[in-house]
Amino acid sequence: MSYAELQVTSNFSFLRGASHPEELVEEAAAYNYSAIAITDRNSLAGVVRAHVAAKAKGIKFITACCLDLIDGASLLAYPTDKTAYGQLCSLLTKGNFRTEKGKCDLYKADVYEARKGIKFIIIPPPSLNPDLDFDPAFKKNIEEYQEVFSKDLYMAITRSYQGDDQKRFFRLSQLANRFNIPLIATNDVHYHHPARRQLQDVLTCIREKCTIHNAGFLLHKNAERYLKSVDEMFRLFRHYPDAIKRTQELSEACQFTLDNLNYTTPGELADDGKTLQQKLTAITWQCAKEKYEGNIPGKIIANINHELRFIEQMNYAYFFLQVYDFVCFARQQNILFQGRGSAANSSVCYCLGITSVNPEKFELLFERFISAERHEPPDIDVDFEHERREEVMQYIFNKYGRHRAAIVATVTQQHQKGSMRDVAKAMGLSLDAVNRLSASISGFGDEWFDKEKLTENGFNANDKLLRRVLELTAQYIGFPRQLGQHTGGFVITQENLSGICPILNARMENRTCIEWNKDDIDALGFPKVDVLALGMLTCIRKAFELAKQHYGLDLTLDNVPHDDPAVYEMICHADTIGVFQIESRAQQAMLPRLKPKTFYDLVIEVAIVRPGPIQGDMVHPYLKRRNGEELVEYPSKELEEILKRTLGVPLFQEQAMKIAIVAAGFTPTEADALRKSMATFKAQGLISKFEQKLITGMIKNGYSEEYAHRVFRQLEGFGSYGFPESHAASFAHLVYISAWIKCHYPDIFACALLNSQPMGFYQPAQIVADARNHTVDLRPIDINYSAWDSLLEEKVNKYHALRLGFRQIKGISKEDIEQLILHRKEFFTSIQQLRDIGLSKTTLETLADADAFRSIGLDRRQALWQVSASHDQPTGIFRGQQFNIEDEKKVSLPEMILSEHVVHDYASTSLSLKAHPVSFIREKLKLLHITSAAELSHLHDGDLIKVSGLVLVRQRPGTAKGICFITIEDETGSANLVVFPNIFQKFRKEILQSRLLMAEGKLQIEGEVVHVIVSTCYDLSKLLHHLAVSKEKELSLLTLSRADQTPSAIYPHQKSQGQKIIQKEIFPKGRNFR
Amino acid sequence: MGKRFATIWFHYLKTDWFCRYRPELLRLPFVLTAPDHGRMIITAVNPCAYHQGIVVGMVLADARAVVPSLKYFDDIPGLPQKLLTSIAKWCIRFSPIVTIDLPDGIIIDATGCAHLWNGEGSYLDSIAGRLIQIGYHVNAAMADTPGKAWAMAHFGEQRSIINSDEELTAFLFLPVAALRLEVETVIRLNKLGLRQIRDILSMPRSVLRRRFGNHLLMRLDQSLGQQEEIIQPVQPVEPYSERLPCLEPIVTATGIEIALKKLLEVLCKRLQQEGKGIRKLIFKGYRVDGNIQAIDIGTNSASSNADHLFKLFEIKISSIEPALGIELFTLDAPKVEDIHATQEKFWNKACGLENPGLIKLLDRVSNKMGDNKIHRFLPVEHHWPERSVKIAASINEKLTTQWRTDRQRPIYLLQHPEPIKVTAPIPDYPPMLFRYQNKLHKVKKVDGPERIEREWWIEEGQHRDYYAVEDEEGIRYWLFRSGHYSDKNYEWFIHGFFA
Repeated sequence: MSYAELQVTSNFSFLRGASHPEELVEEAAAYNYSAIAITDRNSLAGVVRAHVAAKAKGIKFITACCLDLIDGASLLAYPTDKTAYGQLCSLLTKGNFRTEKGKCDLYKADVYEARKGIKFIIIPPPSLNPDLDFDPAFKKNIEEYQEVFSKDLYMAITRSYQGDDQKRFFRLSQLANRFNIPLIATNDVHYHHPARRQLQDVLTCIREKCTIHNAGFLLHKNAERYLKSVDEMFRLFRHYPDAIKRTQELSEACQFTLDNLNYTTPGELADDGKTLQQKLTAITWQCAKEKYEGNIPGKIIANINHELRFIEQMNYAYFFLQVYDFVCFARQQNILFQGRGSAANSSVCYCLGITSVNPEKFELLFERFISAERHEPPDIDVDFEHERREEVMQYIFNKYGRHRAAIVATVTQQHQKGSMRDVAKAMGLSLDAVNRLSASISGFGDEWFDKEKLTENGFNANDKLLRRVLELTAQYIGFPRQLGQHTGGFVITQENLSGICPILNARMENRTCIEWNKDDIDALGFPKVDVLALGMLTCIRKAFELAKQHYGLDLTLDNVPHDDPAVYEMICHADTIGVFQIESRAQQAMLPRLKPKTFYDLVIEVAIVRPGPIQGDMVHPYLKRRNGEELVEYPSKELEEILKRTLGVPLFQEQAMKIAIVAAGFTPTEADALRKSMATFKAQGLISKFEQKLITGMIKNGYSEEYAHRVFRQLEGFGSYGFPESHAASFAHLVYISAWIKCHYPDIFACALLNSQPMGFYQPAQIVADARNHTVDLRPIDINYSAWDSLLEEKVNKYHALRLGFRQIKGISKEDIEQLILHRKEFFTSIQQLRDIGLSKTTLETLADADAFRSIGLDRRQALWQVSASHDQPTGIFRGQQFNIEDEKKVSLPEMILSEHVVHDYASTSLSLKAHPVSFIREKLKLLHITSAAELSHLHDGDLIKVSGLVLVRQRPGTAKGICFITIEDETGSANLVVFPNIFQKFRKEILQSRLLMAEGKLQIEGEVVHVIVSTCYDLSKLLHHLAVSKEKELSLLTLSRADQTPSAIYPHQKSQGQKIIQKEIFPKGRNFR
Repeated sequence: MGKRFATIWFHYLKTDWFCRYRPELLRLPFVLTAPDHGRMIITAVNPCAYHQGIVVGMVLADARAVVPSLKYFDDIPGLPQKLLTSIAKWCIRFSPIVTIDLPDGIIIDATGCAHLWNGEGSYLDSIAGRLIQIGYHVNAAMADTPGKAWAMAHFGEQRSIINSDEELTAFLFLPVAALRLEVETVIRLNKLGLRQIRDILSMPRSVLRRRFGNHLLMRLDQSLGQQEEIIQPVQPVEPYSERLPCLEPIVTATGIEIALKKLLEVLCKRLQQEGKGIRKLIFKGYRVDGNIQAIDIGTNSASSNADHLFKLFEIKISSIEPALGIELFTLDAPKVEDIHATQEKFWNKACGLENPGLIKLLDRVSNKMGDNKIHRFLPVEHHWPERSVKIAASINEKLTTQWRTDRQRPIYLLQHPEPIKVTAPIPDYPPMLFRYQNKLHKVKKVDGPERIEREWWIEEGQHRDYYAVEDEEGIRYWLFRSGHYSDKNYEWFIHGFFA
């Protein structure tokens, strides 16, 4: 007695199915089904997960799909062999390409074409018509299907408890006899357990954009669409035992499993008759010879030999050749790139030029990264310039064709905020309550149901509705929401990809992606190559170009001089604004403590300021050991091997995983599963199981419990923000290169950074200020000199002068500027000339606001005065006549004072070369006994001081237990403030609102690191308001108005309306990072 | 004497109004919000929130980061218009010509009114004073043009009176925004360093027109009184109410009928002119002894047909006790609705609710029998049978969903299912016998089961398996078993009868 369920909708039919494929498979296995199929609507996105789960549970899994047709009844399709499966994939691909992303349009005719080897089940309408019969249209449909599919067609018969089941059964058996189509039992499963009905109803509401209260008949009336026991299925179909038996017949006919899919290497890689391994070997040695100019060091020879042997053993040659191919293209096109990832830091990759990190520099064992046991494909990510990555992608699509190359999908999951909102909305909570709820609850877990916390936020903890919302949300979290596009993981095959997996159009033009995500691809053993984008590479390329143009240097990622002490010196002083990775406040604070002296120090620096090591409390022990304040010791002999290079403190992802393996007795596969489970939400139970195992395992092996907990916390941190050593090494290389440019050519560095914005941590204003500090001459935007990008002009001192580009101006369009530059044959002398080349009044006004008319002798106010009249042009027969503004009656405008200019500079370009805004109020600040930022480092640890400046960044990193870090800037430099949670609560308003913040607190000096531990905050933003207005004017206003109170006190808003509008958005609000 | 205008500016119009109804909000920071591009934007703040740095235009989430205790409510679209109109109507006691100045002001043409309040100072004080008393934050000003008055109210002191030319200077020193210009113009003027009205006044008009267009000059002229500004006064709606005093006290039914007819005639004439109809009408008689006699009627749809309305009253007239006589009759219509004119047809064959005759009949029957005797049922989208129908609120209520025909439903559904004794084979075969009201029914034919689950968001409990059964007499019943057959505690019920 056995049964196979053939009609199952999983949650990959978005907002229809209410169970994960894994759950369905596991439930079916528990009921001893002989097989289960997953039939999602026009999609195969969930099958790999189900396949993997079925393999683990030892139940047969049938890969299948439900075809919703535009012009016919829906069909369930079951491919019986690999060819049939390929046809099904092509069919879905066809449907996907026909329409926009997320939809699939299929017609009967398409299915007829692809029918060979596929078994079909026709799904009859859910209810009979008023004559208690099926619609004639449906009957006709069956007839047609029967003719085409003949004996491959079945008809589904389902007990749905709709009241007319017996009548339906009777009619169906009539039809079955008439057309000779066998009936087959299904249960139209939407969830694995009846308890999920509530969630299914809620999903329906979300899909139909209604609430549970007005969803009405959109909802199903009962909860029968769950997996039932085999006995129950037999009982339900006791009058139709054949229908049950046929499920066996059909499932036996389906001999296809996803394991039959084999990856075939694209033929292009081995074009000359050699095997891939031979080709790789030949190329590697050739490249090595070129690289070392015929003089390959013995160590490298040994390395290469060793690695090639390993690659041969694992049969990975194609993979390296593939990456080599992309990289060659990029090199040809002069696109900068840098490889990283587990296999990238090998001698082979170094020789092939995939990475510029010299593996001699540190001893990375190749096998450490490619685990032989797991037999997972190696992992190489290649970063390209972010502005030009598309070229590389298009190269791939062109070379292999969009039918053979595609981007891996990312299954976006429901995150807690989103699910909470969706569920709460569907449950009919008011928008206001929805917001409050999703805002008040953070972090997933039992605390959700914590009474106190709910009460605190104004909810009734005993409210049934609320509890239900929380319960349903908990179930909903982790559901797939949509298929997104992976950031750049490519799968390339020899055959058509559409024979392996359905392909869909990506949101972006000229891209295609497949339905499976990274894990699915891994599970099937397909290799993927990541083609990623990195802003810093764009910046470095621009810098290299400038270096060539202005200094005649021919720089590449390889030939930048290594181990330059001046660069490390600069890094040690935390002079790293704009430098890749180590420019953040936290990194800057770490640098003077860590004092990097060698390349490997940079690798550590990159990895250490990360959630993993911070959460695992690894930072301080490492620093202490490094500075010799603590003895370097190892918890055990076996760990010494792993932890030697980081002084006994695990800092890298693979170290933590190795500890789990060596010290807690995990298998490598388990360790990897542990890391992966950390990154996903749904494996809640799994994590605590692993935690138990890790900690008991380590204690058993003689480690202290405290140490075990730390390792676990570190693993937790690595889960989502992992940083393995190989990645850190690749990044460190870019850190070094960007630091080198900054150190030796700050002019080039600033120019390249400005032209690559937006990227990094800092605003243009800070980049410019930093360049100035390095004695670079900065020049303002001007219609006669500037280009769209910033550029370097003649050499003035050691460096070239930097002319800001039009791109700094807010709200100006590139086309207009191109127009301007195109017509800039000779020096412009009047605004009229600009008007004549077709620039609009708005553009001219924007240029005037940016004060770009200085070279024709107009400041922004005079320019605006002229521009605002310029729409008034001679027309008709006077067209083209010289128009002379001088003819107008002379009007004298009030002169703009410097501080006002600065304010307007900020308004237009977010920076000013004229002066720093704080410098104008320095007198006032002095009266308040406020110290300037530059003076801070001359004071003593523990001094009580006051500082004030524009707020640049506010940060509340999750790892810092609610501590807020603020960076403020005055005309002399910047200062770092540390605000503890209690102070933050007290001065929340000041901290979050002020543009100009004054902080009072205690100075903390630790070597070169200067912090202010804040005790009080004041909002001094008001002082800035007066910058824009000249003093006499304001005084006259006060004296002549008859008010005895100051006006601003009585008339809160509107009084200063005009001023406020300008003031409002001038000074950047400061960036918030939470 | 020249014209005089008073302007009142409400700083916190909307939030003050909220506080009037919820005084507990007075000391709490709160804001009103409206969605905009998927974000909640603050559209009004109260003084308390303002002093904590919350301003209009902020994103709610940002504001709540600053003031976590901030309360917020949904803004009501069109609220200022409504509030200002009602305030303007109230202000008619101060001058016949009052207009609203959206979004937050009122302009009163006070020409020749102030002396009744002993001068302009006390005139303004009494207007503003009353408004402040009921909880509004206001600024008031008087001047010889609406423009100047507006400027002084917004940018002057709490009470400003500009008498005549000698005080023009005060006006000249106000910021340019006081001219009621578009925000862009104000910004541009400020950028050019032209911050006060006097700065632009001294400029040649041609230069200004060329750069800022006519609007600026028009506002300037209006404010200075060189161009008249036309204001559109509000006109209050009179209540739908008529009175009929009698020279001699009325004591007879005929007299009352005549009075009623007269009142109805006048009222219905007005209603017809305005395209309105009556849903509820109260007729009152004031007796000489001070007692008030009242009768009322309701209609199922708005009507302005005097004859029909009279007929509805007719049977109730006998309940009026005139005693010594009635000296005053009034007729009030508390509930008035628009009548949507329908095309008259030559042959009016409309049936059902389309037929006006039927509605008149229903009106008469329900007035005679009392409310809640006649119902109209509408289908509701619920699977649970008890909730699948509802009583219509009005005769004209439109169907929101069609009556379902794809599932069998009884013509008569019991309001509460009644328990019955049933013999049915297990596990879930249909019943063979059942006993209802002490009568044994043998089931001959059966259809089902139809399983209906509870609507879990409303209530919890067992699901029901419904069977439609026919007994040997050919009568059909709707029975159900509450609970799953595998449960021990299932029960049988009867829930309805088929035709």
